[in-house]
Amino acid sequence: MAQILRINTREKTSVFETPPADLLALGGRALTSRMILNEVPPTCHPLSRFNKLIFAPGLLSGSPAANSGRLSVGGKSPLTGGIKESNTGGLVSQKLARLGIQALVLEDKPEAGESSIVVIRKDQVDILPADEYRGVTTGDMIEKLWDRFGKRVGVAVIGPAGEQRLTAASIQFADPKGHPGRAAGRGGLGAVMGSKGIKAIVVDDTGADKVFLHDAEAFKAANKKWADLLLSHPVSGQGLPAYGTAVLVNIINEAGAFPTKNFRSGRFDKAQDISGETMAENIEKRGGVVTEGCHPGCVIRCSQVYHDKDNNYLTSGFEYETIWAFGAHCMISDLDDIARLDRLCDDFGLDTIETGVTIGIAMEGGLIPWGDSKAAIELLKKVGQGDPLGKIIGNGAAFTGQALGVDRVPVVKRQALPAYDPRAVKAVGVTYATTPMGADHTAGYGVCQNILSVGGSIDPLKKENNVEISKDLQIATAAIDAAGLCLFVAFPVLDRPEGLQLIVDMLNARYGISLTTDDVVKLGISILKDELEFNRQAGFTKKDDRLPDMFKETFPPHNTTWDFTDEELEKATSF
Amino acid sequence: MATLTFNAFSFLQKKLKARHVDCVNAPLEFTEGQTAAEVLKTLGIGPEDLEGLFVNGRIAGLHTRLYHGDRLAVFPPGTPGPYRLLLGLVNSRGETKNEDL
Repeated sequence: MAQILRINTREKTSVFETPPADLLALGGRALTSRMILNEVPPTCHPLSRFNKLIFAPGLLSGSPAANSGRLSVGGKSPLTGGIKESNTGGLVSQKLARLGIQALVLEDKPEAGESSIVVIRKDQVDILPADEYRGVTTGDMIEKLWDRFGKRVGVAVIGPAGEQRLTAASIQFADPKGHPGRAAGRGGLGAVMGSKGIKAIVVDDTGADKVFLHDAEAFKAANKKWADLLLSHPVSGQGLPAYGTAVLVNIINEAGAFPTKNFRSGRFDKAQDISGETMAENIEKRGGVVTEGCHPGCVIRCSQVYHDKDNNYLTSGFEYETIWAFGAHCMISDLDDIARLDRLCDDFGLDTIETGVTIGIAMEGGLIPWGDSKAAIELLKKVGQGDPLGKIIGNGAAFTGQALGVDRVPVVKRQALPAYDPRAVKAVGVTYATTPMGADHTAGYGVCQNILSVGGSIDPLKKENNVEISKDLQIATAAIDAAGLCLFVAFPVLDRPEGLQLIVDMLNARYGISLTTDDVVKLGISILKDELEFNRQAGFTKKDDRLPDMFKETFPPHNTTWDFTDEELEKATSF
Repeated sequence: MATLTFNAFSFLQKKLKARHVDCVNAPLEFTEGQTAAEVLKTLGIGPEDLEGLFVNGRIAGLHTRLYHGDRLAVFPPGTPGPYRLLLGLVNSRGETKNEDL
């Protein structure tokens, strides 16, 4: 049976324990959120010894299921003050699962100034001094750790941002090629890891058995259909591999929902210059890799490797959100400079959405000119230097907005909005406002039309049905996060109802249980209930489920406004 | 003669560029009142090439009539995200608006 591994970061000890009954059937986000609700005092300071940082593979992670290698990282967020789950690719999820570790929990905190690395192997857990790694950037850390502990070990690492406990700090993860391009990005969990004096976690599953499948034949049959489903759908089979998520730049811009110059309008006249089409052209011209996955067993391969004009590696995992945040939001149209900004975020361990929005706030506040990508790069470098101005930037959009006396700060629960304007895509606006995570676009992703109980067609510019849609998507997303599946499986599953049944079939074959698709809905709801309860105890009220007033402004080109009442929004979180 | 702004995205952009058809913020001349289907036919684009189209930034059908100053944008199958649902591309029963195209 899988065990929970607890590390006391003060004593430098580790202990394995058998999970209690109420955690046995949980994985991924279901597990991290339940444990945080159970074990973390909701009113604690997130950087104190009472917070916990929990790493949990999903229920299907470590199995041969296609696209099942995602990892959930959970804790109380230093950015929002509420519960947080950050989701990432990389190698750690599958290796923890193969080692029979249901969750890894970092607890307590050491004396100030102490720094360690945690090394997990079959039959051995070590907590070793890490003084020699102070200030080392994430890419260099992965290189050093692969040299020391073996190529392709799982690595989770913080950079200078997490070491300084800044609230935009991420935890970066080695991808299969050793680039630091994967991130548990949102909500400052890198600061929590820094507060516990843990510079890196190494996971080596050498010698571990394959994950046990209760009914191997049934699993294999379901997984074959599952992989075919993913490959045959044009989104996952063709669109994402060719252009990555950046294919959305032109689409969202055309829809008039591409927030430009700090959410003033929905179209950027230079959108084509920073589009997925331009990115793909550059990759083809210069070398780089057009399509690669973020974890073994991924068949969608939405990620890429982007080179500069001289064919040198610039960055990996160059996503739509990042391109928007450093691009249209800041009026920057130089795709190569945006890649440099993405790379700096990887190196320092910073959430690219939060940091890109923050750079735009720095422009709003007159610190650097709008559209000046070189100035943005110089400003961002200060975060890595420990410079006081860097500490402001590294603490995110709300903190920077306050430091500069800015009155238009696009955050909910102090987390920066992502790349879709809520006035032009109203269902995602409802998600931003009501998800326990703070302004978050992935919290309300789609799965299967069986789950969606809304009839009729959806108009993104009107209020009708968008609260119900957001609620249903939040439920479905939570369930996918619990399974360890990549969120992008949602695209084919949205169109093919048999997709959800295949996920259920694989879960049943893996564990010897008899779930139905209804159980998936119930699981999603229970996760949201846990998260809402934690936030309630932490002091959140319905006034925290609002967008800032700046979204009451009329938003061109469609000239809509954000016009939901508190009462209307409340329906998204009533179960 | 009327003019609209024409864009093609994703694989369609690549295909049209290879045929030297201007498709990035391109001014396109057409006869006012023509349907999107008719205008696209003149560019060699048929319904089988499309997952959807935007007219003036909103998902629309091929039967939509176009007027001077409009924006027309087309894209092939392969757009990721729940935005397919949230932008009105897919109805809640999971059928794409392709049927309505």
